[in-house]
Amino acid sequence: MKRNIVIISVFMLLGFCLVSFRTFWISVVNYEKYRARAVDVQTTETEITPKRGTIYDSNMKVLRQSATVWTIFVSPKESDPSQANIVAENLGRILDVEPSSILEKLSKSESYYQVIRKKVDKPLADEVNAWMDEYKRQQANSETYNPDMPKTIKGVNIIEDTKRYYPYGTLASTVLGFCGNDNQGLSGLESYYDEELTGTKGRMISHVNAWGYDMGTENEVLNEAVDGYGLKLTIDETIQYYLEDALEKAIETNKVVNGACGIIMDVNTGAIYGMASMPDYDPNDPYTLVDTALYNSILNIAHEEEQNKALSDARQAQWRNKAVNDLYEPGSVFKTITAASALDSGAASLSSGYRCGGSIAVEDRSFSCAHGAAHGTQNITQALINSCNVAFIQIGQAMGAETFYDYFYSFGLAEKTGIDLPGESRSLYYTDETHTPVTLASSSFGQSNKITPIQMITAITTAVNGGNLVKPHIVSDLLNPDGSVAENLTPQPKRQVISETASKAVCRALQENCSSSGNAMNAYVAGYRVGGKSGTSQKLDGADDEYVASFVGVAPCDDPQVAIIIILDTPTGENGYYGGQTAGPVVGELMGKVLPYLGVERVYTRTEKVTQNLTVSSVKDYTVADATIKLQRQGLTVKTVGTGTKVKSQYPAYGTKIPVGGIVVLYTEGTEETLVTVPDLKGKNANYVNQTMLSAGLNIAEAGAYSGNKGVTVASTSPRAGEKVPMGTVVTVTYMASGAYE
Amino acid sequence: MANTKKKEKKIELKDIFELGGHGVDIPFLLITLALLVFGLIMLYSAGYVKGIYAFNDEYHYIKKQCISAALGLLLMAVASTISRKFIKHFSIGIWLASLALLCLVFLYDPYNSCQRWITIKGLGTFQPSEIAKLAIIVNFADVLEKNTGKLDKIKYGLLPFAIFLRPVVLLLILEPHLSCIVIIFCISAIMMFVGEVDWKIFALVIGTITLTVGVVIVISMNVEGSYFYSRIHNFINKDTVDLTVEGYQSYMSLLAIGSGGWTGLGFGNSRQKHLHLPERWNDFIYSIAVEELGFIGSLIIVGLFVAFFFRGMYIARHAADKFGSLLVVGIVCQVAIQAGLNIGVATNTIPNTGISLPFFSEGGTALILLLAEVGVVLSISRTCNFNEGKSDESNNSGRRDSRTYKSGAGNSTEN
Repeated sequence: MKRNIVIISVFMLLGFCLVSFRTFWISVVNYEKYRARAVDVQTTETEITPKRGTIYDSNMKVLRQSATVWTIFVSPKESDPSQANIVAENLGRILDVEPSSILEKLSKSESYYQVIRKKVDKPLADEVNAWMDEYKRQQANSETYNPDMPKTIKGVNIIEDTKRYYPYGTLASTVLGFCGNDNQGLSGLESYYDEELTGTKGRMISHVNAWGYDMGTENEVLNEAVDGYGLKLTIDETIQYYLEDALEKAIETNKVVNGACGIIMDVNTGAIYGMASMPDYDPNDPYTLVDTALYNSILNIAHEEEQNKALSDARQAQWRNKAVNDLYEPGSVFKTITAASALDSGAASLSSGYRCGGSIAVEDRSFSCAHGAAHGTQNITQALINSCNVAFIQIGQAMGAETFYDYFYSFGLAEKTGIDLPGESRSLYYTDETHTPVTLASSSFGQSNKITPIQMITAITTAVNGGNLVKPHIVSDLLNPDGSVAENLTPQPKRQVISETASKAVCRALQENCSSSGNAMNAYVAGYRVGGKSGTSQKLDGADDEYVASFVGVAPCDDPQVAIIIILDTPTGENGYYGGQTAGPVVGELMGKVLPYLGVERVYTRTEKVTQNLTVSSVKDYTVADATIKLQRQGLTVKTVGTGTKVKSQYPAYGTKIPVGGIVVLYTEGTEETLVTVPDLKGKNANYVNQTMLSAGLNIAEAGAYSGNKGVTVASTSPRAGEKVPMGTVVTVTYMASGAYE
Repeated sequence: MANTKKKEKKIELKDIFELGGHGVDIPFLLITLALLVFGLIMLYSAGYVKGIYAFNDEYHYIKKQCISAALGLLLMAVASTISRKFIKHFSIGIWLASLALLCLVFLYDPYNSCQRWITIKGLGTFQPSEIAKLAIIVNFADVLEKNTGKLDKIKYGLLPFAIFLRPVVLLLILEPHLSCIVIIFCISAIMMFVGEVDWKIFALVIGTITLTVGVVIVISMNVEGSYFYSRIHNFINKDTVDLTVEGYQSYMSLLAIGSGGWTGLGFGNSRQKHLHLPERWNDFIYSIAVEELGFIGSLIIVGLFVAFFFRGMYIARHAADKFGSLLVVGIVCQVAIQAGLNIGVATNTIPNTGISLPFFSEGGTALILLLAEVGVVLSISRTCNFNEGKSDESNNSGRRDSRTYKSGAGNSTEN
């Protein structure tokens, strides 16, 4: 028996030797191999997310900003079933989530990660923390301790995240774009400057447990995160607001079907003051289609794949910035470029004459002017004012294709402007090689070639700013996180395209087009010498009655500073579809707001001065005779009601501004305020208006097109015709150039 | 023999205790205490992370284990005074009780699709298979002693063992508890070998066991999804990391041991214990120990077990009678086999079977029972004749050894 004990002992010893050798083999001999694999399993490389840069407008107002938010998730695997109900109830209450959905998530017992709510702000995250602390405190207190539950809340986790804030909502949404869930820029500036805004990710090695959570020890930072650059824009929030407001109103008034866009630009630098594309969207909710009718029609698509595609296309369309991403045929606005090229090349001079008999034949095609009008013999300025196709065909022919295309390229119409926005379209055009006499003729008055709105306005600024092709841009500076300038991004002008002399001539022609009988009268603003050119082009790829109405305005024409382009795609309102009638007033309204805002001084011409307003003085308690003398000396007309000798009250009151020759009504003792009816002035000219209003005892404040011009009539009055107002009331009369065709 | 049985029916108070001899074997006691202290320290280190994660209390495991150790030591002290006669008297009772307990487990909910545990509210869980092992050891020792000289006959040398073994193994298969069956077979075989069952019968037993195990392996290899299949499958494919529970455990265990090197990462610095390695406070505590203390540390652990085993075998060799000797062999071998198999699993030397490491693994009732068994060994050691062992190596009969008793307190086993 003892022998057998020895035998067993020997076997057992061999066994122990074997496992000991195995331990040696693994831990010492293969140390390197297993150690490396273990490090692989135990550590994780964590990215440290940098803070995304802030976007400011030109006055450092914050347009876009990233802030820290918190995502709250539960880890059912770590949670305690006994707590399921209180977790669901409290998280549901704090985070405004249905408790039943939380219970359902908690029931996925094999899961480590079930999101309850993403990206909540600090107060909510704090509240969740406070609730968990409170629970812990209750369980630590012997009086409130519940032995059936764990001492702490289990499996509820809060992790840090960031969220992009869009304080101005839809403002400039198509230009600025939006960010996705992982804070990556998905469209607009957010996408174009994504790299700069994102910054550089840092890296950190940390030891983690098997669930991937930090063990809280021995973290090693390899690289610190570098926060993203901020952007300072040339866009001014106020001007942007003016632009969007005016566009929205224009879309409504003119019943614009296919959207609109507009650009306001610094003529000399190419800095964009404002850029809008309608319809726009809310960057907080970019995936929801703004066009509910379109959305409903997509929902009706039966085939799921087609439906998804339609939805995706509609979203892409919603995010499009028409000012940069879409092509259009500029139509008559382009005549400005043809004129500038002709004047600069010497193919035309200000005194050259062009005859228009209503139509002209080019090879087998016959081109005519709008409404078949025959303009007779005109110089180049008159041709522009008449928007005479026949004359511009002749001007184009005088230049010849080679020169025409030299200037076409030179004005940057064959290249991208290089604006710092994503997806700029390349223009479609006949080249100096593919053109025919017919396409040259149509190109001369703006048909055949398709360009982007940003190319058009850039070419116009080149024509009026002394001949320099500028590079349009939206970002002026890259900013450090502290707001200091890291890099100035203002580009240099690209090249001189036309001479200063030619440029001055173009400016004069454009101003004349606005202020006399031209097609651009609706953009007139007293004191600002606005110049402009309207355009109306039939959409070759659209239906027969689809027109793109556009207008380009420049001001002040003696020293151009601001250019504005407004494009309305298919207006169907009662103002018709002509650019001068629909887009022109928008440019006028914007010039009237933007120029004073930018501090451009009004300089009135002599005729304008006459119509300037006077401030009514106070004549209360004066004798009627003294009051009359005082007011007449100011250049006002006096009407007296009553037979008394002393002025008891006056209308308009002291301080009101009325035009020279305006009426002040004086009431003597014992008289009551007299009411008169506003007459119907629609369609009447200025002469008729002035006489009627004088006899009615009403004052006039003129608005809209310059009333002294031919063909300008009243579009509306405020207060409206038929309303009863006190005698002497100032009635705003809005004029409109009804014959502004091209 | 029948005569003896009748005599033993009557048990008097003086037969219960064994306080004579030359006192308990101090080296064996010291080795045991060293293992116990080392085990508790390692359990604290390996278990506090899980304690924090699961119970928000880093002392969660170690507190329970320390209480168990204290109880175990108390029980050990008591057991070291119990006479072998008393144990013998209740051998059948222990066996019947263990069978009853093994049946009881089926009343409890399965854990990991096994029904091995009895849960006592407030006290924790308890594995009746631990008692079953002891029951087999005690009864085998008893039968081997009683049937000495007749062990070449099937009726005496095989049948009694089969009768004791069969219901236990059957119940363990139902649980199922593969590792326990393996251990019980090993102990049985060792005890029959040491107890000098005729070599033909022994060969028959070994042959049958080998054949059965072989057939089970071959069959289960082909039944995908079976308990045995996944265990064995994972062992064969040990070089690829598969993320099934057992394969993952083995791989993570290798990474832990492999991170140790000569001297380890330092006490308390294991990284694998941070939830990477499942059951780290239990079946894989050895891996954490090697990760923290290195190969040197593993030598200390294995060395302590070897010392425990050899000192135990030394006591067995010099025990006063065959029953005592076999009892010690059974108990000591049980500890050694479990330690060897556990380390074998941790080092991926044998398939993952889920055997705990005695003295180290978490488990209160197991530790209490283990210390009680050590107490039994200590009790046997009181009456050892260490001097006689040196002068008479050829003496292989416990019965004759009993003549050397010095105290009259427990010599009633002599006919």
